[in-house]
Amino acid sequence: MGIFRELRYALRSYLRAPGFAAVAVLTLALGIGGATAIFSVVDGILLRPLPYPEASRLVKLGRTTATGSMDGAFSAADFLDVRREGTSLVHVAGYREDISDLTGVGEPVRVPGVQTTAGFFDALGVTPLAGRVYTAADEARGGMAVISEGLWDRQFGRRSDVVGSQIRVNGIPTTIVGVVSASVRHPIKADLWNLAPGAVPTSPIPSGGLADREVQYFAALARLATGATMGDANAQLQAIGERLGQQFPETNRGESFHVRPLAATLVTDVRAGLLLLLGAVACVLLIACANVAGLMLARGLARRRELAVRAAIGASRWQIARQLMVEGLVLAAAGGAAGLILASWGVDLLVALAPQNLPRLGDIQLDWRVAGVASLATTAVGLLAGLAPVVQSSRPQVNEDLKDGGRTGTSIRTRFRSGLVVAEVALALILMIGAGLMATSLARLRAVDPGFHTTSMAAVDLPVPQSRYDGPAQGRFYSEVLGRLQDSPVTARSALVFPLPLRGSGASAAFDIEGRPSTGRPAQPIAELNIVSPDFFQTMGLRLVRGRGLASTDVEGRPPVVIINERLAREFGSEDPVGRRINLGDWITVVGVVSDARRESLAAAPQPALYLPYQQFVLPYMSLVVRTDASEAAVASAVKSVVRELDPDLPVETVRTIDQIVEASTDQPRFRTTILLAFSFLAVLLAAVGVYGLMSFSVSQRTSEMGVRLALGASPGQVGRLVLRQGLALAGLGVALGLAAAAGGGRLVASLLFDTSATDPAIYAGLAALLLTVAALACYVPARRAMRVDPMRALRAD
Amino acid sequence: MLKLRNIEKSFRHGLSQTFVLRRVNVDIPDGQFVSIMGPSGAGKSTLLHILGMHDSAWTGEYWLGEEPVHQLSAKDRMRLQKQHVGFVFQSYHLLDNLTVYENIDLPLSYRDVKKTERQGMVADILDRFNIVGKKDLYPNQLSGGQQQLVAIARAVVARPTIILADEPTGNLHSDQGREIMELFKRLNEGGTTIVQVTHSETNAAFGDRVIKLKDGWVVDEN
Repeated sequence: MGIFRELRYALRSYLRAPGFAAVAVLTLALGIGGATAIFSVVDGILLRPLPYPEASRLVKLGRTTATGSMDGAFSAADFLDVRREGTSLVHVAGYREDISDLTGVGEPVRVPGVQTTAGFFDALGVTPLAGRVYTAADEARGGMAVISEGLWDRQFGRRSDVVGSQIRVNGIPTTIVGVVSASVRHPIKADLWNLAPGAVPTSPIPSGGLADREVQYFAALARLATGATMGDANAQLQAIGERLGQQFPETNRGESFHVRPLAATLVTDVRAGLLLLLGAVACVLLIACANVAGLMLARGLARRRELAVRAAIGASRWQIARQLMVEGLVLAAAGGAAGLILASWGVDLLVALAPQNLPRLGDIQLDWRVAGVASLATTAVGLLAGLAPVVQSSRPQVNEDLKDGGRTGTSIRTRFRSGLVVAEVALALILMIGAGLMATSLARLRAVDPGFHTTSMAAVDLPVPQSRYDGPAQGRFYSEVLGRLQDSPVTARSALVFPLPLRGSGASAAFDIEGRPSTGRPAQPIAELNIVSPDFFQTMGLRLVRGRGLASTDVEGRPPVVIINERLAREFGSEDPVGRRINLGDWITVVGVVSDARRESLAAAPQPALYLPYQQFVLPYMSLVVRTDASEAAVASAVKSVVRELDPDLPVETVRTIDQIVEASTDQPRFRTTILLAFSFLAVLLAAVGVYGLMSFSVSQRTSEMGVRLALGASPGQVGRLVLRQGLALAGLGVALGLAAAAGGGRLVASLLFDTSATDPAIYAGLAALLLTVAALACYVPARRAMRVDPMRALRAD
Repeated sequence: MLKLRNIEKSFRHGLSQTFVLRRVNVDIPDGQFVSIMGPSGAGKSTLLHILGMHDSAWTGEYWLGEEPVHQLSAKDRMRLQKQHVGFVFQSYHLLDNLTVYENIDLPLSYRDVKKTERQGMVADILDRFNIVGKKDLYPNQLSGGQQQLVAIARAVVARPTIILADEPTGNLHSDQGREIMELFKRLNEGGTTIVQVTHSETNAAFGDRVIKLKDGWVVDEN
């Protein structure tokens, strides 16, 4: 029989049984689409090499601190020593993110920027789109910048004479030497990389220059030298660290250096979450495969009479198999096409939903290889299951199949299909429990009191370029801005702070308490370092517990003072910390104690914290917080107007509410929880379809049995309960297996949970009950059908 | 000529063995119209399916003309079946998704007959059975009698030498049944060997000969 005719017959058979076709295509599409979309995200972030030549040889340098923690920040002197002595590395380059205020081309704009040392692009191996990149030969020349393709488009209209043009970056005359493609996104999706004017990036705070080992403020990357391995580099860096530890015990004792693959360092924080999502999508794909197999098996069983007729009128087994394969492939093609559409939408949706700080977000694109593999897997499962009747049937069965129309399905196939449904239910419950744990964890995380006001609060970053603002100028600028804003009714309750809380960044400092012996670097206590204006505590709602707050008289030239939090006050034991001094390089007097607040994240408990007055310890990275009932737009307008009056060349960044910042701090857990919830919903839906399909099929196969039972006096309720019992027994077995598997695998997600046990019995029991209810509902329709069987008709049909 | 010698078929249930057919010896000359009769469970349909080569799990000798069916491979039996046998079922067993035309065309397509040739053969059958007007209808749009007519058309389209019919009028009322039997009679008069299973003495009367089975044994042959 011609292939086109078989194709036509297959299409017609699906059009005449649209329910079956729709469920099968949808199942295939959801399995293929979901798996492809999620895998594309995982591939883009975790698996795909970075878009640089020989990317596997790119390494990020790090520091292992005396306490054993990993840190990626270097001091100038340590960096220069590692660069000089680390012969297993080439193109060692330092860099740090920096504000880049661009003037000289239209309106002043602030773009994401990075200040790097000369070897940065040599290390990455970047070929520019236009002009050139600066290289080691340009070391310490400064005044040079490479811009992104995006900035070239937006700001320069892709003009060919952009190379060589002069702009001002943070007020410094700078020549654009080249343009790089959008794929260069290290360490951020920057628009401008400018060459440091020295051998290291400029320090944001006063430091001891190139000999400084105290202030660690920039990151470093390199390329493994030809022939060198990661092990060689690590051994060499460790030796350098040990030598420096002996030579400079004050600053370097117990510290060492290491390298890690650059790609791995970018995704450390998100790896576990993404792998969890990958596991979830694998579950959905398995459920989809099981469902397709179940559907095809059922269809095959139901068509045994038709296949027997075909055999009886002369079809060979190959001809029948070919017909079934064509039908399977039609289904697979439709499911695959729909799956690819879903995958394409899914990738766009995932990228839109993903937290903007997700690393390598720009590398995510639809992965055709996965789409192909997922399509093949589901198609193969569907085809194999669909061919089962041909594989199993042989000529001697034709007579029986013609007589009973395949109503007496073989017990092996029925058991296999029941097994598939049990597996589907178990997998669905595992996913539900994963999602339930994540959702509970997220709800508890969001209910955490951060220790400060979050409502009616707005914030805006107000960094100033160091090139135009030295220390005293920074203090004057911030003081002037604050004063003028406090004169406006909209921004009357304003304060300055560095850093804004819950943005995962900030500075820390080691300190000694007066009267106690200094323990030296490794064992020295560490506290979070905050720079604030006097009104900060009142504005943010931190309570003064003891002593006094900061005063407008705590300015440069006056004795340095600090406020500490309750957590740090506990370090003083039973002594009153107020009036005591702590050493942060200089002796500073504690004048007050305030309530604890979370700074790093909602999940991290409050740490010991120091609050220094900005008039004594100013930084060029202050942010403004405003307590107001006015809109963000009104605040933005007020801030812009004040800043414009003081410095027309200083762009003002977007004003956000503190609520938005708190919300953004939970972006990653919310992202994975949303995806997991979606997948678990999908899994439950597919499992319900599986249970429904099996029970419907079972009822249609047992119509005469139901007729006999009813004829013998069974009530419709008893017949219905028979079906329900059968379905719930399978679902119950699946639930039991799912509970056991979830409890066993719970430790895999434990690290992602906040204040939630991975084996929380309430979550397990609640979701098991929910799934059983869904299964009961899925059995209800077939049960109703069984209850309505007309005994006379059923028995006559036999 | 169909020739059966010592045909036996049985099922094993643990240690016991249940015989469906016992030592069946039958000769059916070409062009004969034979009716197989007997009570339910006598083995009538089983014998018919053995004749139709749908069943290969039996012992004994089965000769179809000069061909020793009992010695042939499954592939050769298939070839022989395609060449000689047409089958008519009590429940018609038309394929629901195919039109009347497509149902009749199906056996020819399984025999790899060329499309142009098939079109002529199907058109000829539609005309002979007077169902041209129904060629684009689906089975569920036809009455029982019309469906059986199409089923017979499907059975004869490949020009078999033998038609095997399993209670062909079992689901029809008497007028329709008579028409079908008259059709068989005409086909038989055209030279086709016909073997039917029937419970009806009236239907058996259309044939030349009756073979009676009971408990798997041939108990009467005339």
